Amino acid sequence: MKGSYRIIVSNAKIRYDFTLKRNITILKGDSATGKTTLVEMIREYYEAGPDSGISLRCNRSCRVLGGRDWKLLLSSIHNSIVFVDEDNAFLPTNEFAEAVQDSDNYYVLVTREGLPNLPYSVEEIYGIRQSGKYAGIRQVYNEFYHIYGRTDFLKPVRPEQIITEDSNSGFEFFHGLSEGKRYDVVSARGKSNIFARMLDYTDADLLIIADGAAFGSEMDRVMKQAKTSKKVSLYLPESFEWLILKSGIIDGKNLRAILESPEDYIESRLYFSWERFFTSKLVELTKNGYLQYSKKNLNPSYLHDSIVAAITSAMEMIDLR
Amino acid sequence: MLSIYYGDMPEAIYNTVIFFKNTYMDDWITDDLCRKMILDVDKSIVLGPHVIDSPVLGGIAPGELSGGVKTLIAIYKVPERIFNASACGDNCAKWILKIGEIQDITINLRHLMDFGDGAFSIKVINTGQVVHSMNELLPIAGLIVR
Repeated sequence: MKGSYRIIVSNAKIRYDFTLKRNITILKGDSATGKTTLVEMIREYYEAGPDSGISLRCNRSCRVLGGRDWKLLLSSIHNSIVFVDEDNAFLPTNEFAEAVQDSDNYYVLVTREGLPNLPYSVEEIYGIRQSGKYAGIRQVYNEFYHIYGRTDFLKPVRPEQIITEDSNSGFEFFHGLSEGKRYDVVSARGKSNIFARMLDYTDADLLIIADGAAFGSEMDRVMKQAKTSKKVSLYLPESFEWLILKSGIIDGKNLRAILESPEDYIESRLYFSWERFFTSKLVELTKNGYLQYSKKNLNPSYLHDSIVAAITSAMEMIDLR
Repeated sequence: MLSIYYGDMPEAIYNTVIFFKNTYMDDWITDDLCRKMILDVDKSIVLGPHVIDSPVLGGIAPGELSGGVKTLIAIYKVPERIFNASACGDNCAKWILKIGEIQDITINLRHLMDFGDGAFSIKVINTGQVVHSMNELLPIAGLIVR
């Protein structure tokens, strides 16, 4: 499935209005904000349709998955938006992650657990809040809000230490830049090691560079640790390959349109998360050229001055000179 | 005292909502502390053991309380059992600390609940350490759960 989907669901008392853009959306936050109520309304509408007294507008079928027979049920659901409430013990299992990867649905998962085996984006983690608008008599409007809001850097980031999630080309690029500079670069060798590496550098001006497209599961602990120090900055592009594509050094048909609305081009069944798509696109567009890209080893051409300048200038407010 | 086991814990009750539905007693709802937790977390007023006034849903039964407040009540009223407190949002954290001051409780957390900026005493069962602030708790619990 690809594309974005607006869902408006309401009854006499509550109305939800939100848009999904990727295969995995996480709903979390405080208790009593209406997460379970939303899932219950989706379930009741599916069971009874308009006779439920619920109105549901979406151009895909909305379903609720739960219970011990979830696998059996999921095998019959296609091209739909699947909601799962937090009381389902299968949510953090590998079995469920594999089922999500193999399916053509979008998922809305209500959970505070990190779910490290699901590569979801930092951009698709939401809470629910009342928007404060009331219609007619007494209908509460609920909206989604980003738990980890996008905050632009207010002043240039000049790190003393950089930790990259990547251990291959992404790391080699930033490590290559660091030669003779004021900062050092280490690789965490995977997103799940970043929190532990942060504890090694509690006194340094620290910049963490990770793939935002799949960093969702790490975001809570990394943000909480970052809050204990005013010296930590996070740079979370979709991925290193996305950054190269965004820098303008690669030509490609529809590339600008793809970068503006990736959801319209990325088939979720083929790409578990967006960073895999961007890697595939970069490899395709640079094949047999002097910038031929390999994720495993950095092509030295990416460290030429003009290429470095283009890529680093796409990293707004981050000073790696 | 409040003790926490972080991570997967098979003996903990994961689906706290079903447990609450099938075990709660009328006098749990009208208990003073439970009334306060329902008012604070759900913004709802207990009118009696069977009716609660919710600002959004109107008159509701105890079964329609939030998953977070049901879990808090279960932790408070059944201290001999261990519950998955990741069913509770951060707005429940102060009540977990409060219940831990009243009686010894053990909870299971599968995420990093934020216990706020104040001082507290929490025993992390995984490591045996007792911590007194989030700054102490975070580097320990953050290595176990996300």
